[in-house]
Amino acid sequence: MTLRAIVSSVLCVLSVAAHADGKVVVYNWAEYIPEGVLEQFTEKTGIKVEYSTYDNNETMYAKLKLQNGKGYDIVVPSTYLVSRMRKEGLIQPIDHARLTNYKHLDLDLLDKPYDPGNQYSIPYLWGSTAIGVNSDDIDPASITGWADLWDEQWRGKLLLIDDMREVFHMAYKINGVSTNTTDPAQIEQAYEKLKTLMPNVLVFNADAPREPFLAGDVSLGMLWSGEASMAQEENAAIEYVYPSEGAGFWIDNFVIPAGAENVENAHKFLDFMLRPEVAKQAVEEIGYATPNLTARDLLDEETRNNPIIFPSADVVKAGEFQEDIGEEANALMNDYWEKLKSGQ
Amino acid sequence: MRFRQLVITVTLAWLALFVLAPHILVLLTSLLSPDTQQLASYPFTMQSYTRLWEPVYASAFWQSFWLSLLTTVICLLIGYPFAWTLARLPKLPRALLLFLMMVPFWTNSLIRTYAIKLILGAKGLINSTLLSLGLIDTPLQLLYTPFAVIFGLVYILLPFMVLPLVTTFSKLDNCLLEAARDLGATPWQRFVQVILPLSMPGVIAGSLIVFLPAMGMFYVSDLLGGAKNLLLGNIIKNQFLVVRDWPFGAALSITLIVLMGLLLWFYVQANRRINRQGGLDDNAL
Amino acid sequence: MITPFKWSLVGLVFVYLYLPIAILVINSFNESKYGFEWKGFSLRWYEKLWHNDALMQAFTNSLLIATLAATAATVIGTLMALAVYRYQFRMKKLATGLLFVVLMSPDIVLAITFLVIFIVLGIHLGFWSLLISHITFCLPFVVITVYAQLKGFDRNLLEAARDLGAGEWRSFRTIVLPLVMPAVIAGWLLSFTLSLDDVIISTFVTGPGFEILPIRVYSMVKIGVSPEVNVLATLLLALSLILVMIAALLGRVRRKW
Repeated sequence: MTLRAIVSSVLCVLSVAAHADGKVVVYNWAEYIPEGVLEQFTEKTGIKVEYSTYDNNETMYAKLKLQNGKGYDIVVPSTYLVSRMRKEGLIQPIDHARLTNYKHLDLDLLDKPYDPGNQYSIPYLWGSTAIGVNSDDIDPASITGWADLWDEQWRGKLLLIDDMREVFHMAYKINGVSTNTTDPAQIEQAYEKLKTLMPNVLVFNADAPREPFLAGDVSLGMLWSGEASMAQEENAAIEYVYPSEGAGFWIDNFVIPAGAENVENAHKFLDFMLRPEVAKQAVEEIGYATPNLTARDLLDEETRNNPIIFPSADVVKAGEFQEDIGEEANALMNDYWEKLKSGQ
Repeated sequence: MRFRQLVITVTLAWLALFVLAPHILVLLTSLLSPDTQQLASYPFTMQSYTRLWEPVYASAFWQSFWLSLLTTVICLLIGYPFAWTLARLPKLPRALLLFLMMVPFWTNSLIRTYAIKLILGAKGLINSTLLSLGLIDTPLQLLYTPFAVIFGLVYILLPFMVLPLVTTFSKLDNCLLEAARDLGATPWQRFVQVILPLSMPGVIAGSLIVFLPAMGMFYVSDLLGGAKNLLLGNIIKNQFLVVRDWPFGAALSITLIVLMGLLLWFYVQANRRINRQGGLDDNAL
Repeated sequence: MITPFKWSLVGLVFVYLYLPIAILVINSFNESKYGFEWKGFSLRWYEKLWHNDALMQAFTNSLLIATLAATAATVIGTLMALAVYRYQFRMKKLATGLLFVVLMSPDIVLAITFLVIFIVLGIHLGFWSLLISHITFCLPFVVITVYAQLKGFDRNLLEAARDLGAGEWRSFRTIVLPLVMPAVIAGWLLSFTLSLDDVIISTFVTGPGFEILPIRVYSMVKIGVSPEVNVLATLLLALSLILVMIAALLGRVRRKW
């Protein structure tokens, strides 16, 4: 009698406990969380992770908007979307008091204009957009800036990232204006400049720009820092050159959608991702930079001093962080982008 | 009586709920004004439709059109004799070969498109073979060209041409062919006057289910063509996701559907005329 | 008559179809992470897949949806083809038109319309929304294929049946259905393929709890050709070939009987 009572009450307590731990629904870029991390998290906290992925910011935004910010607990938008989502009430404030590991973050990467005080976002990984060169085919020293890509000898040979903000950035920097400009005249000037670049393009790629480099189809083009560092592991001849006019920089952030159901668990998840060991793993496996200072110290020397992953302060200063430019400028830029792509 | 009603009711109910209603919503959206906050809002306006006349969109339409047409023609040229050969086989080998033809398609078209890159790339199968045989000095640019796009589209859409053709051919009465032969018709005459007209339903079916999806398949062009072309699918995706001008995206979609409808109508009318001349009965379609 | 020319055409087509597959299979055993060079034989990706629970789950989900959707689409689609072919009813032209609208709508448009109607109707995003949308976009393919076969059909057979007193259901079951079986099977195969392959529509209408294979593959392959995907493709291929062989053997056994 008593044994059965004990067993049943124990089972009762256990089942309640299991329910109490619950789950957290995470929506992230594919392959953007290092292996085993989700399992580690569930082990440590007992919270189940429902994980799904997207391949571009826009799909994620559309899905979230249509569901009124419901359905997911954690999402990972890039810089320029954070401010827009904030203005539209799609995300909710994050309670820093619940994040014990917040202190590890690099102050330089916090409190940026897109989210003052980081009320709504926690940076996860950051990186740059610059020039990739295959040193087996081209001497990297001969490439110093974006303008070199316009050279006639690269006709039909370049790779450009299939993202209008990234491509326009090159023209803006050559023209000497901000990458976040909303001035229609400046946008038009950039378009005129880019028109002359189009004959040089062999391929646009936004999925894995390192792939055509590794396949031997291109030897010169735009590249993201993480892509470059991963490409180097496979083929040491692939190098990353920061253009003199200024590289593009961006940050991918964790946010909590306004309609999230498991807010408590979301905070626990954030806190876990802020652990230095986890951030260290992210750098090693994904190749982008972490804003987590303590994690940087944990890395081996080679990785810590890798200029591709962690550019010098000068390079960062010469470059510019991407931010939201508003709907009108976005629409105008898209019109020009479509014209460029259709050969006009 | 009851069966007939059931069939009609199921048909109409499903179509009404999951096709008619959503598309009416799209039509309504296309008439609304673009709105940054809510994706679309009142008042009603025709402004989205007036934007359609810009050259960018016409050019995108023609690109998509020619690509799809070329793909359909090539699928027909390859698929027709292929289906004919298959249909002449006894039931079991035919079913076997059909299955074998479909099997690659259960391994996900996206992965296979990536595999095509490994065939066409600078260090890919074709180039490596040609280089090692000494037939060329430097690798041919096969990938990121229109050739690669057609290669990929035909690859994905070929079975959609073959399947309807095989079913049509398998119903072809051999007696008719024998009769024609007995009457002294040459193989060419047999083909043009007997086989071709009778296979028309299959040809139409196959062409439709190749051409129409091809018009919307922008990802093959993106992956194998280098994303250098702006196709209708790209534009619509952009409008819905990047620019978030839903009324315009909706207007583009409605226009595309209407244009395709017109093309379809012309094709059917032309076919009806052919059939009438050939003496075949043509009713429901 | 099947000339050598025709046989070599068939052979060439099969080479064309299977060459990329062959590459996938070979690469699933490739030590290298990328498929460009052969770096040695290895089974590590098979091991990796075995431990990749999420991918296996997505795979099972996809098979489930594809089978259910193909079957439902074939049933409903065959009935629709029959309705259009045989019956006169008031909204026939509308029905046919709507079927073609589905065929003509670009994937992205269908995706958004489905999402919107599901939200409006309050259908939870996940298994059901996925199933309904898959059935709907497979329908026109089934209808067209079955209809094409019905067209070559001898109406007299049906007239004769009716004169002999057979009801609609009976004449459908005993006369029409056996004769259109090839098209029905073809329709099922097409639908199964379409469902397994679909990415864009599925991305929009599925919910977080129900991952399916094409979406996972899409993400993984875009980021950097994950070799486990090659393994999955190889396994799918092996599975399908085994099924085909079983079907062939069954056919031979039945014939002997």
